[in-house]
Amino acid sequence: MAQPEDLLFSKEHEWVKLDGDTATIGITDYAQNALGDIVYVELPKVGATIKQFSPVGVIESVKAVSDLFTPLSGEVLAINDALENDPAAVNREPYGGGWLLKLRVADPNEAKTLLPPADYEKIATE
Amino acid sequence: MRRTPLYDEHVTAGARLVPFAGFEMPVAYAGILREHDAVRHRAGLFDLSHMGQFYLTGDRVAEWADTLTINAVGTMKPLQARYNVFCNEAGGAHDDTIFYRLDGRWLLVVNAANADKMWSHLNAHKPSGVALANEHGRRALIAIQGPLSVEILQPHVDVDLASMRYYFAAEGRAGGFPAVIARTGYTGEDGFELFVDGGYAPKLWRELLRAGASAGLEACGLGARDVLRLEAGMPLYGHELTEEITPVQAGLSWALKLAKPEFIGRAALAAQRDRDDYSRIVGLVMEGRVPAREGYPVLLDGRRVGEIRSGSIAPSAGNRNVATALVAPEAATDGTALAVTIRGASHAARVVPLPFYKRAK
Repeated sequence: MAQPEDLLFSKEHEWVKLDGDTATIGITDYAQNALGDIVYVELPKVGATIKQFSPVGVIESVKAVSDLFTPLSGEVLAINDALENDPAAVNREPYGGGWLLKLRVADPNEAKTLLPPADYEKIATE
Repeated sequence: MRRTPLYDEHVTAGARLVPFAGFEMPVAYAGILREHDAVRHRAGLFDLSHMGQFYLTGDRVAEWADTLTINAVGTMKPLQARYNVFCNEAGGAHDDTIFYRLDGRWLLVVNAANADKMWSHLNAHKPSGVALANEHGRRALIAIQGPLSVEILQPHVDVDLASMRYYFAAEGRAGGFPAVIARTGYTGEDGFELFVDGGYAPKLWRELLRAGASAGLEACGLGARDVLRLEAGMPLYGHELTEEITPVQAGLSWALKLAKPEFIGRAALAAQRDRDDYSRIVGLVMEGRVPAREGYPVLLDGRRVGEIRSGSIAPSAGNRNVATALVAPEAATDGTALAVTIRGASHAARVVPLPFYKRAK
Protein backbone atom coordinates (compact mmCIF):
# COMPACT_ATOMS: atom_id res chain seq x y z
CA MET A 1 0.00 0.00 0.00
CA ALA A 2 1.35 3.44 -0.89
CA GLN A 3 1.64 5.82 2.04
CA PRO A 4 -0.96 8.60 2.31
CA GLU A 5 0.63 11.83 1.06
CA ASP A 6 -0.52 14.13 3.87
CA LEU A 7 1.25 12.18 6.65
CA LEU A 8 4.69 12.13 8.24
CA PHE A 9 6.33 8.95 9.45
CA SER A 10 8.75 7.68 12.09
CA LYS A 11 11.33 4.95 11.59
CA GLU A 12 9.41 3.00 14.24
CA HIS A 13 6.46 2.80 11.79
CA GLU A 14 4.16 5.38 13.32
CA TRP A 15 2.36 8.01 11.24
CA VAL A 16 1.47 11.59 12.20
CA LYS A 17 -1.19 13.85 10.74
CA LEU A 18 -0.62 17.50 11.66
CA ASP A 19 -3.51 19.94 11.88
CA GLY A 20 -2.28 23.21 13.38
CA ASP A 21 -0.80 22.24 16.75
CA THR A 22 -2.80 19.01 16.93
CA ALA A 23 -1.24 15.73 15.82
CA THR A 24 -3.16 12.51 15.19
CA ILE A 25 -0.99 9.42 15.56
CA GLY A 26 -1.30 5.84 14.43
CA ILE A 27 0.77 2.93 13.18
CA THR A 28 1.44 2.31 9.52
CA ASP A 29 -0.03 -0.31 7.26
CA TYR A 30 3.37 -1.96 7.16
CA ALA A 31 3.43 -2.11 10.97
CA GLN A 32 -0.05 -3.60 11.35
CA ASN A 33 0.75 -6.16 8.70
CA ALA A 34 3.99 -7.15 10.41
CA LEU A 35 2.28 -7.44 13.81
CA GLY A 36 -0.60 -9.53 12.53
CA ASP A 37 -4.00 -9.70 14.23
CA ILE A 38 -4.06 -7.00 16.92
CA VAL A 39 -5.96 -8.08 20.03
CA TYR A 40 -5.20 -5.36 22.59
CA VAL A 41 -4.04 -1.74 22.58
CA GLU A 42 -2.88 0.06 25.72
CA LEU A 43 -2.73 3.86 25.32
CA PRO A 44 -1.54 6.69 27.58
CA LYS A 45 -4.07 8.60 29.67
CA VAL A 46 -5.69 11.77 28.34
CA GLY A 47 -3.83 14.70 29.86
CA ALA A 48 -0.52 12.83 30.08
CA THR A 49 2.59 14.56 28.77
CA ILE A 50 4.65 12.29 26.52
CA LYS A 51 8.10 12.66 25.05
CA GLN A 52 9.18 12.05 21.46
CA PHE A 53 10.38 8.49 20.67
CA SER A 54 9.61 7.23 24.19
CA PRO A 55 7.37 4.20 24.82
CA VAL A 56 3.85 5.39 25.65
CA GLY A 57 1.75 2.28 25.25
CA VAL A 58 1.56 -1.30 24.10
CA ILE A 59 0.16 -3.04 21.06
CA GLU A 60 -0.47 -6.75 21.40
CA SER A 61 -1.01 -9.15 18.55
CA VAL A 62 -2.02 -12.78 18.97
CA LYS A 63 1.64 -13.75 19.25
CA ALA A 64 3.52 -10.74 20.61
CA VAL A 65 3.65 -7.65 22.80
CA SER A 66 5.14 -4.55 21.14
CA ASP A 67 5.87 -1.12 22.57
CA LEU A 68 4.18 1.89 21.04
CA PHE A 69 6.49 4.90 20.64
CA THR A 70 5.25 8.43 20.18
CA PRO A 71 6.71 10.19 17.13
CA LEU A 72 6.19 13.63 18.76
CA SER A 73 6.20 15.17 22.24
CA GLY A 74 3.09 16.75 23.67
CA GLU A 75 0.01 16.50 25.81
CA VAL A 76 -2.44 13.70 25.08
CA LEU A 77 -5.73 15.31 24.00
CA ALA A 78 -7.65 12.15 23.11
CA ILE A 79 -7.23 8.43 22.72
CA ASN A 80 -9.21 6.16 20.43
CA ASP A 81 -11.60 4.52 22.91
CA ALA A 82 -13.21 2.44 20.16
CA LEU A 83 -10.08 0.26 20.08
CA GLU A 84 -10.95 -1.17 23.48
CA ASN A 85 -13.79 -3.15 21.93
CA ASP A 86 -12.38 -3.32 18.41
CA PRO A 87 -8.57 -3.43 18.41
CA ALA A 88 -8.71 -5.04 14.95
CA ALA A 89 -9.63 -1.61 13.56
CA VAL A 90 -5.88 -0.96 13.62
CA ASN A 91 -5.47 -3.84 11.14
CA ARG A 92 -8.44 -2.86 8.99
CA GLU A 93 -7.95 0.91 8.82
CA PRO A 94 -4.49 1.84 10.10
CA TYR A 95 -4.79 5.38 8.63
CA GLY A 96 -8.48 5.86 9.49
CA GLY A 97 -10.63 4.34 12.23
CA GLY A 98 -7.55 2.64 13.66
CA TRP A 99 -5.89 5.90 14.80
CA LEU A 100 -4.41 5.71 18.29
CA LEU A 101 -4.13 9.14 19.92
CA LYS A 102 -4.21 12.90 19.44
CA LEU A 103 -1.56 15.21 20.86
CA ARG A 104 -1.16 18.93 21.40
CA VAL A 105 2.28 19.27 19.83
CA ALA A 106 4.86 20.63 22.28
CA ASP A 107 7.58 21.53 19.77
CA PRO A 108 6.77 22.04 16.07
CA ASN A 109 10.46 21.58 15.23
CA GLU A 110 10.28 17.90 16.16
CA ALA A 111 8.21 17.27 13.02
CA LYS A 112 11.35 18.00 11.00
CA THR A 113 12.89 14.79 12.34
CA LEU A 114 10.06 12.76 10.78
CA LEU A 115 10.03 11.27 7.30
CA PRO A 116 7.97 12.30 4.28
CA PRO A 117 5.98 9.47 2.59
CA ALA A 118 8.55 8.69 -0.10
CA ASP A 119 11.36 8.28 2.45
CA TYR A 120 9.23 6.08 4.70
CA GLU A 121 8.22 3.98 1.72
CA LYS A 122 11.90 3.06 1.26
CA ILE A 123 12.18 1.85 4.86
CA ALA A 124 8.93 -0.09 4.72
CA THR A 125 9.83 -1.88 1.51
CA GLU A 126 13.44 -2.72 2.41
CA MET B 1 18.40 -23.20 9.69
CA ARG B 2 16.68 -26.28 8.28
CA ARG B 3 13.77 -26.22 5.85
CA THR B 4 10.93 -28.65 5.41
CA PRO B 5 10.19 -30.16 1.99
CA LEU B 6 7.34 -27.61 1.76
CA TYR B 7 9.52 -24.53 2.28
CA ASP B 8 9.15 -23.30 -1.31
CA GLU B 9 5.37 -23.61 -1.04
CA HIS B 10 5.36 -21.34 2.01
CA VAL B 11 7.57 -18.74 0.37
CA THR B 12 5.45 -18.72 -2.79
CA ALA B 13 2.30 -18.30 -0.70
CA GLY B 14 3.81 -15.30 1.07
CA ALA B 15 3.75 -16.96 4.49
CA ARG B 16 5.50 -15.25 7.37
CA LEU B 17 8.40 -17.53 8.30
CA VAL B 18 10.00 -17.72 11.72
CA PRO B 19 12.70 -19.92 13.23
CA PHE B 20 11.13 -22.76 15.20
CA ALA B 21 13.04 -25.70 16.63
CA GLY B 22 15.79 -25.22 14.07
CA PHE B 23 13.42 -24.99 11.10
CA GLU B 24 12.17 -22.01 9.12
CA MET B 25 8.45 -22.50 9.68
CA PRO B 26 5.34 -20.57 8.62
CA VAL B 27 3.78 -18.78 11.59
CA ALA B 28 0.94 -17.37 9.48
CA TYR B 29 -0.30 -17.14 5.92
CA ALA B 30 -3.42 -14.96 5.65
CA GLY B 31 -3.53 -14.24 9.40
CA ILE B 32 -3.72 -16.25 12.59
CA LEU B 33 -7.36 -15.47 13.41
CA ARG B 34 -8.57 -16.12 9.89
CA GLU B 35 -6.71 -19.45 9.80
CA HIS B 36 -8.12 -20.33 13.21
CA ASP B 37 -11.60 -19.65 11.88
CA ALA B 38 -10.97 -21.87 8.86
CA VAL B 39 -10.03 -24.83 11.07
CA ARG B 40 -13.00 -24.41 13.42
CA HIS B 41 -15.58 -23.99 10.66
CA ARG B 42 -14.13 -25.40 7.44
CA ALA B 43 -10.62 -26.86 7.27
CA GLY B 44 -6.97 -25.90 7.46
CA LEU B 45 -3.82 -27.46 6.02
CA PHE B 46 -0.65 -27.52 8.12
CA ASP B 47 2.97 -28.34 7.34
CA LEU B 48 4.22 -30.24 10.39
CA SER B 49 7.24 -31.75 8.67
CA HIS B 50 9.49 -30.27 11.35
CA MET B 51 8.20 -32.86 13.79
CA GLY B 52 10.39 -35.87 14.38
CA GLN B 53 9.34 -39.19 12.82
CA PHE B 54 11.04 -42.31 14.12
CA TYR B 55 10.16 -45.72 12.70
CA LEU B 56 10.62 -48.62 15.11
CA THR B 57 10.76 -52.28 14.11
CA GLY B 58 11.30 -55.59 15.87
CA ASP B 59 9.24 -58.02 17.91
CA ARG B 60 10.13 -56.34 21.18
CA VAL B 61 9.24 -52.71 20.34
CA ALA B 62 6.08 -52.57 22.45
CA GLU B 63 7.56 -54.39 25.44
CA TRP B 64 10.59 -52.10 25.33
CA ALA B 65 8.66 -48.86 24.76
CA ASP B 66 6.52 -49.69 27.76
CA THR B 67 9.61 -49.37 29.96
CA LEU B 68 10.24 -45.80 28.73
CA THR B 69 6.72 -44.37 28.68
CA ILE B 70 3.86 -43.66 31.09
CA ASN B 71 0.99 -44.87 28.90
CA ALA B 72 0.51 -48.42 27.61
CA VAL B 73 2.07 -49.33 24.28
CA GLY B 74 1.66 -53.12 24.44
CA THR B 75 -2.13 -52.97 24.59
CA MET B 76 -2.45 -50.89 21.40
CA LYS B 77 -4.53 -52.50 18.68
CA PRO B 78 -3.27 -52.79 15.09
CA LEU B 79 -3.38 -49.36 13.42
CA GLN B 80 -4.20 -47.61 16.66
CA ALA B 81 -2.59 -44.31 17.68
CA ARG B 82 -1.97 -43.35 21.29
CA TYR B 83 -0.67 -40.28 23.14
CA ASN B 84 2.29 -41.05 25.38
CA VAL B 85 4.87 -39.27 27.49
CA PHE B 86 8.53 -40.17 28.01
CA CYS B 87 9.70 -39.08 31.47
CA ASN B 88 12.96 -38.69 33.31
CA GLU B 89 13.61 -40.49 36.62
CA ALA B 90 12.15 -37.54 38.55
CA GLY B 91 8.94 -37.79 36.55
CA GLY B 92 9.56 -34.64 34.49
CA ALA B 93 8.55 -34.90 30.85
CA HIS B 94 11.34 -35.77 28.42
CA ASP B 95 8.87 -35.44 25.53
CA ASP B 96 5.21 -35.97 24.73
CA THR B 97 4.58 -38.05 21.66
CA ILE B 98 2.17 -40.13 19.62
CA PHE B 99 2.77 -43.82 18.94
CA TYR B 100 1.21 -45.30 15.80
CA ARG B 101 1.05 -49.08 15.57
CA LEU B 102 1.37 -49.71 11.84
CA ASP B 103 1.66 -52.86 9.77
CA GLY B 104 4.86 -54.55 10.98
CA ARG B 105 6.39 -51.31 12.33
CA TRP B 106 5.72 -48.49 14.71
CA LEU B 107 5.80 -44.77 14.04
CA LEU B 108 6.77 -42.50 16.90
CA VAL B 109 6.13 -38.78 16.37
CA VAL B 110 8.15 -36.55 18.67
CA ASN B 111 8.33 -32.79 19.12
CA ALA B 112 10.67 -31.02 16.71
CA ALA B 113 12.59 -29.32 19.51
CA ASN B 114 13.07 -32.68 21.24
CA ALA B 115 13.91 -34.81 18.22
CA ASP B 116 17.67 -34.94 18.79
CA LYS B 117 17.26 -35.49 22.52
CA MET B 118 14.73 -38.25 21.93
CA TRP B 119 16.85 -39.95 19.29
CA SER B 120 19.71 -40.12 21.80
CA HIS B 121 17.38 -41.29 24.56
CA LEU B 122 15.95 -44.11 22.46
CA ASN B 123 19.36 -45.25 21.25
CA ALA B 124 20.79 -45.17 24.77
CA HIS B 125 18.09 -47.60 25.91
CA LYS B 126 17.69 -49.67 22.76
CA PRO B 127 17.87 -53.42 23.30
CA SER B 128 18.97 -55.91 20.68
CA GLY B 129 16.09 -56.93 18.47
CA VAL B 130 14.78 -53.37 18.07
CA ALA B 131 15.75 -51.28 15.05
CA LEU B 132 15.27 -47.52 14.87
CA ALA B 133 15.12 -45.30 11.79
CA ASN B 134 15.29 -41.53 12.10
CA GLU B 135 13.27 -39.86 9.36
CA HIS B 136 13.29 -36.41 10.97
CA GLY B 137 13.32 -33.79 8.22
CA ARG B 138 13.14 -36.36 5.42
CA ARG B 139 9.60 -37.67 5.81
CA ALA B 140 6.95 -34.95 5.62
CA LEU B 141 3.82 -34.52 7.73
CA ILE B 142 0.81 -32.68 6.34
CA ALA B 143 -2.24 -32.26 8.59
CA ILE B 144 -5.73 -31.38 7.46
CA GLN B 145 -7.89 -30.27 10.38
CA GLY B 146 -11.46 -29.05 10.59
CA PRO B 147 -15.06 -30.22 10.17
CA LEU B 148 -14.78 -30.51 6.36
CA SER B 149 -11.62 -32.65 6.49
CA VAL B 150 -13.30 -35.92 5.48
CA GLU B 151 -15.12 -34.32 2.57
CA ILE B 152 -12.06 -32.47 1.27
CA LEU B 153 -9.52 -35.26 1.74
CA GLN B 154 -11.55 -38.31 0.69
CA PRO B 155 -11.16 -37.90 -3.10
CA HIS B 156 -7.36 -37.86 -2.65
CA VAL B 157 -6.88 -41.02 -0.61
CA ASP B 158 -7.62 -44.70 -1.20
CA VAL B 159 -8.92 -45.51 2.27
CA ASP B 160 -12.45 -44.88 3.57
CA LEU B 161 -12.08 -41.92 5.91
CA ALA B 162 -15.61 -41.82 7.29
CA SER B 163 -15.21 -45.30 8.77
CA MET B 164 -11.77 -44.61 10.27
CA ARG B 165 -12.02 -44.20 14.04
CA TYR B 166 -10.51 -41.29 15.94
CA TYR B 167 -6.89 -42.12 16.89
CA PHE B 168 -6.60 -44.87 14.32
CA ALA B 169 -4.57 -44.96 11.11
CA ALA B 170 -4.33 -46.70 7.75
CA GLU B 171 -1.53 -47.35 5.31
CA GLY B 172 -2.60 -46.37 1.84
CA ARG B 173 -2.06 -43.68 -0.72
CA ALA B 174 -2.55 -39.92 -0.67
CA GLY B 175 -2.38 -38.07 -3.97
CA GLY B 176 -1.20 -41.39 -5.40
CA PHE B 177 1.81 -41.56 -3.07
CA PRO B 178 2.37 -44.12 -0.29
CA ALA B 179 1.15 -42.57 2.94
CA VAL B 180 0.29 -43.26 6.53
CA ILE B 181 -3.12 -41.66 7.00
CA ALA B 182 -4.15 -41.12 10.62
CA ARG B 183 -7.21 -39.58 12.24
CA THR B 184 -5.16 -37.57 14.70
CA GLY B 185 -4.42 -33.90 15.27
CA TYR B 186 -3.69 -31.07 17.63
CA THR B 187 -6.51 -28.61 17.11
CA GLY B 188 -9.58 -29.99 18.90
CA GLU B 189 -11.26 -30.61 15.54
CA ASP B 190 -11.77 -33.69 13.42
CA GLY B 191 -8.94 -34.18 10.99
CA PHE B 192 -6.18 -36.29 9.55
CA GLU B 193 -2.41 -36.40 9.47
CA LEU B 194 -0.63 -37.61 6.34
CA PHE B 195 2.88 -38.98 6.66
CA VAL B 196 4.59 -39.11 3.27
CA ASP B 197 8.06 -39.06 1.84
CA GLY B 198 9.35 -35.50 1.62
CA GLY B 199 9.76 -35.76 -2.13
CA TYR B 200 6.02 -36.26 -2.56
CA ALA B 201 4.93 -33.56 -0.14
CA PRO B 202 4.90 -30.46 -2.38
CA LYS B 203 2.69 -32.09 -5.01
CA LEU B 204 0.29 -33.43 -2.38
CA TRP B 205 0.19 -30.05 -0.60
CA ARG B 206 -0.64 -28.20 -3.82
CA GLU B 207 -3.22 -30.77 -4.87
CA LEU B 208 -5.07 -30.56 -1.55
CA LEU B 209 -4.98 -26.75 -1.37
CA ARG B 210 -6.27 -26.45 -4.92
CA ALA B 211 -9.02 -29.01 -4.51
CA GLY B 212 -10.10 -27.74 -1.09
CA ALA B 213 -10.14 -24.04 -1.91
CA SER B 214 -13.79 -23.94 -2.92
CA ALA B 215 -14.74 -25.61 0.39
CA GLY B 216 -12.73 -23.00 2.30
CA LEU B 217 -9.54 -24.97 2.97
CA GLU B 218 -6.72 -22.61 3.93
CA ALA B 219 -3.01 -23.04 4.53
CA CYS B 220 -2.42 -22.52 8.25
CA GLY B 221 0.67 -21.71 10.26
CA LEU B 222 2.00 -22.50 13.68
CA GLY B 223 0.38 -19.36 15.13
CA ALA B 224 -3.13 -20.65 14.50
CA ARG B 225 -2.11 -24.11 15.63
CA ASP B 226 -0.99 -22.75 19.00
CA VAL B 227 -4.30 -20.92 19.58
CA LEU B 228 -6.26 -24.01 18.50
CA ARG B 229 -4.37 -26.40 20.77
CA LEU B 230 -4.57 -24.03 23.74
CA GLU B 231 -8.34 -23.70 23.36
CA ALA B 232 -8.58 -27.49 23.15
CA GLY B 233 -6.60 -27.81 26.39
CA MET B 234 -3.75 -29.72 24.78
CA PRO B 235 -0.30 -29.34 26.36
CA LEU B 236 2.60 -27.91 24.36
CA TYR B 237 6.03 -29.18 25.29
CA GLY B 238 8.14 -26.39 26.77
CA HIS B 239 5.02 -24.77 28.22
CA GLU B 240 2.69 -27.15 30.05
CA LEU B 241 5.25 -29.98 30.04
CA THR B 242 9.01 -29.68 30.59
CA GLU B 243 11.84 -31.71 32.11
CA GLU B 244 10.63 -30.13 35.39
CA ILE B 245 6.84 -30.26 34.87
CA THR B 246 5.53 -33.82 35.14
CA PRO B 247 2.54 -35.24 33.29
CA VAL B 248 0.77 -35.55 36.66
CA GLN B 249 1.19 -31.80 37.15
CA ALA B 250 0.02 -31.19 33.59
CA GLY B 251 -3.28 -33.00 34.23
CA LEU B 252 -2.27 -36.05 32.21
CA SER B 253 -2.80 -38.64 34.95
CA TRP B 254 -5.36 -40.29 32.66
CA ALA B 255 -2.36 -41.41 30.57
CA LEU B 256 -0.39 -42.67 33.57
CA LYS B 257 -0.64 -46.45 33.64
CA LEU B 258 0.69 -47.49 37.04
CA ALA B 259 -0.46 -51.03 36.30
CA LYS B 260 2.74 -51.27 34.24
CA PRO B 261 5.31 -52.75 36.65
CA GLU B 262 8.25 -50.55 35.72
CA PHE B 263 9.06 -47.56 33.55
CA ILE B 264 11.32 -44.53 33.83
CA GLY B 265 9.75 -42.07 36.25
CA ARG B 266 7.16 -44.47 37.59
CA ALA B 267 8.11 -44.27 41.26
CA ALA B 268 8.34 -40.47 41.26
CA LEU B 269 5.04 -40.05 39.43
CA ALA B 270 3.19 -42.52 41.67
CA ALA B 271 4.48 -40.77 44.79
CA GLN B 272 3.63 -37.33 43.44
CA ARG B 273 0.13 -38.39 42.52
CA ASP B 274 -0.43 -39.85 45.99
CA ARG B 275 0.91 -36.79 47.82
CA ASP B 276 -1.38 -34.51 45.81
CA ASP B 277 0.64 -31.49 47.04
CA TYR B 278 2.14 -30.43 43.73
CA SER B 279 1.81 -27.27 41.65
CA ARG B 280 -0.41 -28.03 38.70
CA ILE B 281 -1.53 -26.70 35.35
CA VAL B 282 -4.92 -24.98 35.43
CA GLY B 283 -6.98 -23.04 32.94
CA LEU B 284 -7.44 -19.32 33.52
CA VAL B 285 -9.88 -16.88 31.99
CA MET B 286 -8.89 -13.23 32.24
CA GLU B 287 -11.74 -11.02 33.43
CA GLY B 288 -10.53 -8.04 31.38
CA ARG B 289 -9.13 -7.51 27.92
CA VAL B 290 -5.40 -7.62 28.63
CA PRO B 291 -3.82 -10.84 27.36
CA ALA B 292 -1.86 -12.98 29.83
CA ARG B 293 1.49 -14.14 28.45
CA GLU B 294 3.99 -16.84 29.34
CA GLY B 295 6.01 -16.01 32.46
CA TYR B 296 3.63 -13.47 34.00
CA PRO B 297 3.27 -13.97 37.79
CA VAL B 298 0.00 -15.38 39.17
CA LEU B 299 -1.16 -14.28 42.63
CA LEU B 300 -3.69 -15.50 45.19
CA ASP B 301 -4.64 -12.88 47.79
CA GLY B 302 -1.54 -10.88 46.88
CA ARG B 303 0.84 -13.83 47.26
CA ARG B 304 2.65 -15.31 44.28
CA VAL B 305 1.40 -18.85 43.69
CA GLY B 306 2.59 -19.54 40.16
CA GLU B 307 3.05 -18.28 36.62
CA ILE B 308 1.42 -18.23 33.21
CA ARG B 309 2.69 -20.99 30.89
CA SER B 310 0.68 -20.17 27.72
CA GLY B 311 -1.78 -17.42 26.92
CA SER B 312 -3.83 -16.22 23.98
CA ILE B 313 -7.05 -14.68 22.90
CA ALA B 314 -9.52 -17.53 22.41
CA PRO B 315 -11.96 -16.88 19.56
CA SER B 316 -13.73 -20.19 20.28
CA ALA B 317 -14.15 -19.38 23.98
CA GLY B 318 -16.12 -16.16 23.71
CA ASN B 319 -13.13 -14.18 22.45
CA ARG B 320 -11.84 -14.03 26.03
CA ASN B 321 -8.18 -14.03 26.93
CA VAL B 322 -7.36 -17.48 28.25
CA ALA B 323 -4.20 -18.97 29.66
CA THR B 324 -2.69 -21.97 31.32
CA ALA B 325 -0.85 -21.40 34.58
CA LEU B 326 1.26 -23.60 36.82
CA VAL B 327 -0.08 -22.82 40.31
CA ALA B 328 0.14 -24.11 43.87
CA PRO B 329 -2.61 -26.59 44.82
CA GLU B 330 -4.47 -24.08 47.01
CA ALA B 331 -4.91 -21.87 43.94
CA ALA B 332 -6.03 -24.65 41.60
CA THR B 333 -9.71 -25.15 42.45
CA ASP B 334 -12.17 -24.25 39.69
CA GLY B 335 -13.68 -20.84 40.33
CA THR B 336 -10.76 -19.53 42.39
CA ALA B 337 -10.22 -15.79 41.89
CA LEU B 338 -6.58 -15.10 41.04
CA ALA B 339 -4.65 -12.09 39.76
CA VAL B 340 -2.09 -11.90 36.98
CA THR B 341 0.61 -9.23 37.13
CA ILE B 342 0.94 -7.58 33.72
CA ARG B 343 3.43 -4.72 33.32
CA GLY B 344 3.23 -4.02 37.03
CA ALA B 345 -0.55 -3.94 37.25
CA SER B 346 -2.85 -6.57 38.72
CA HIS B 347 -5.48 -8.10 36.44
CA ALA B 348 -8.29 -10.38 37.65
CA ALA B 349 -8.48 -13.97 36.43
CA ARG B 350 -10.52 -17.03 37.34
CA VAL B 351 -9.64 -20.72 37.39
CA VAL B 352 -11.78 -22.71 34.95
CA PRO B 353 -11.80 -26.35 33.91
CA LEU B 354 -9.86 -27.32 30.77
CA PRO B 355 -10.46 -27.45 27.88
CA PHE B 356 -11.65 -23.96 26.98
CA TYR B 357 -13.27 -25.34 23.84
CA LYS B 358 -14.81 -28.67 23.00
CA ARG B 359 -16.28 -29.38 19.60
CA ALA B 360 -19.89 -30.52 19.28
CA LYS B 361 -19.96 -34.23 18.40
